[in-house]
Amino acid sequence: MNISLDPWVWIAALLTLAIFSFLYRDNPFYRFAEHMFVGVANGWAVTFYWHNVLMPTLFDPLFRQGQLLLILPFIAGMLYFTRFIPRVSWLVRIPIGISMGYYVGASIPATIQANIIKQAQGTILTTHNFQAWHAGSMGIVWSVILFVGVLCTLSYFYFSREHKGVLGLTSRVGIVFVMIGFGAAFGYTVIARISLLIGRLQFLLGPWLGIIE
Amino acid sequence: MKLFDALTKVDRRIIYIILLVVVTLPLIFPSAQSVRVMPPVEKFFNAVDSIPPDKALIVDFDYTPQDMPELEPMGIAILRHAFKKRIKVLAVSLYVQPLGLAVRALQQVTEEFNSVATSNADSIIYGRDYVFLGWQVGPVNAMLTMGESIARFYPVDYYGNRTDTLPLMREIKNYRNVGLVTSLSPSDIPKYWVAYAQNRFGVRVSSGITSVSASEFYPYLQTGQFSGMLVGMKGAAEYEEIVEQNLNVKGRRKASESLPSLTYAHLLIIAFIVIGNVGYFLSRRHK
Repeated sequence: MNISLDPWVWIAALLTLAIFSFLYRDNPFYRFAEHMFVGVANGWAVTFYWHNVLMPTLFDPLFRQGQLLLILPFIAGMLYFTRFIPRVSWLVRIPIGISMGYYVGASIPATIQANIIKQAQGTILTTHNFQAWHAGSMGIVWSVILFVGVLCTLSYFYFSREHKGVLGLTSRVGIVFVMIGFGAAFGYTVIARISLLIGRLQFLLGPWLGIIE
Repeated sequence: MKLFDALTKVDRRIIYIILLVVVTLPLIFPSAQSVRVMPPVEKFFNAVDSIPPDKALIVDFDYTPQDMPELEPMGIAILRHAFKKRIKVLAVSLYVQPLGLAVRALQQVTEEFNSVATSNADSIIYGRDYVFLGWQVGPVNAMLTMGESIARFYPVDYYGNRTDTLPLMREIKNYRNVGLVTSLSPSDIPKYWVAYAQNRFGVRVSSGITSVSASEFYPYLQTGQFSGMLVGMKGAAEYEEIVEQNLNVKGRRKASESLPSLTYAHLLIIAFIVIGNVGYFLSRRHK
């Protein structure tokens, strides 16, 4: 056992324990650590963005180097603050509209291609898709299961007709696939949370207490 | 019956203590656990391994402290692979929080290689073998502009050097000089790389993701949009294994060390779920 003498390691370790103390019940140590985290994170973010975004890309070029075109994004950005003045608060729609216009324009074609067209192609029963599973002849079976799963799940979310007859059957199969999906997602969530616990324990047992390397 | 009744009503704090013990003991008393490399990880390895000498690997470090246990070992193993094969590395961060963590991973692996290097050619040198471009505003802007000119979007690197003065950046202009983009991210960023960089510029993309988002990303692997995928701590351990086995690169394998704890914790959770359900059904039948 080789306990750390580094004060920063001690601060990190004690804050970790303060956060873990919530598992017992809500207490002042937990609330102190939580509030400090929020405060430090906000203070750091404001300082970072001021020095790394606003100063080098807007204020310095505009006010010191005289790049006057930057007055336009400066004004657009300032319009966000009109939200606090009821009489002119409608002006906030201008910067929101500019941002939305840019991102929607950039994202719609790319998202349709990547998330709809390519995904639909991946569902089609082709030799290429069979091989994509890296499962030999079983690739056909997995592809058929995927195909059935996608169609049945889509049919479950079709609400324009009552789920009776063929639609009733496919939607019941669809809900089975949905439940399996939820189960897989939950299993992965457990892995993720345990992994985070392991990470913290590695820190407490290693750099802080020196019990492990 | 009474036993199951009692177990279903056990105080959650007792469950936490049992879980803490089960996770802690394998860390204090480590045991070797074999790691079987799965196809998505093998595919990832082959994608990095097949990058031609005139092209670079972009490693996008997008993990924050809360994702470190899963994603940092991946980053370290990927850097070991790239440096061992003398693949040029461009590191970026699309968010500000991961900047320090990216520097930490780059420094650790550089020191590992340089501590055993015998000549300048063997060493890993900043500007020649790798560059850390740092962060600029807007992930989508970065992905789109880098397709035309990397140096235009990142006029200076993380350390304040002009990127056009770095030897590596004279060779790597845009995605035409990039063999693979790998995104280590707990968020949707790997999907953005597919949507904006791959669709538009045709660059290959692979991803290292947290377990919690795995089921969301598997479809991208099946369609071939991802040239390999590492999932959580298990994926990181597999990559550590495949790099050590194939390239004989030694170094601390933090994800592999954690696997026994992960395994026992899973067995415990499964046991809790089974006990809880059996107890529930028995008590319902009793009523």
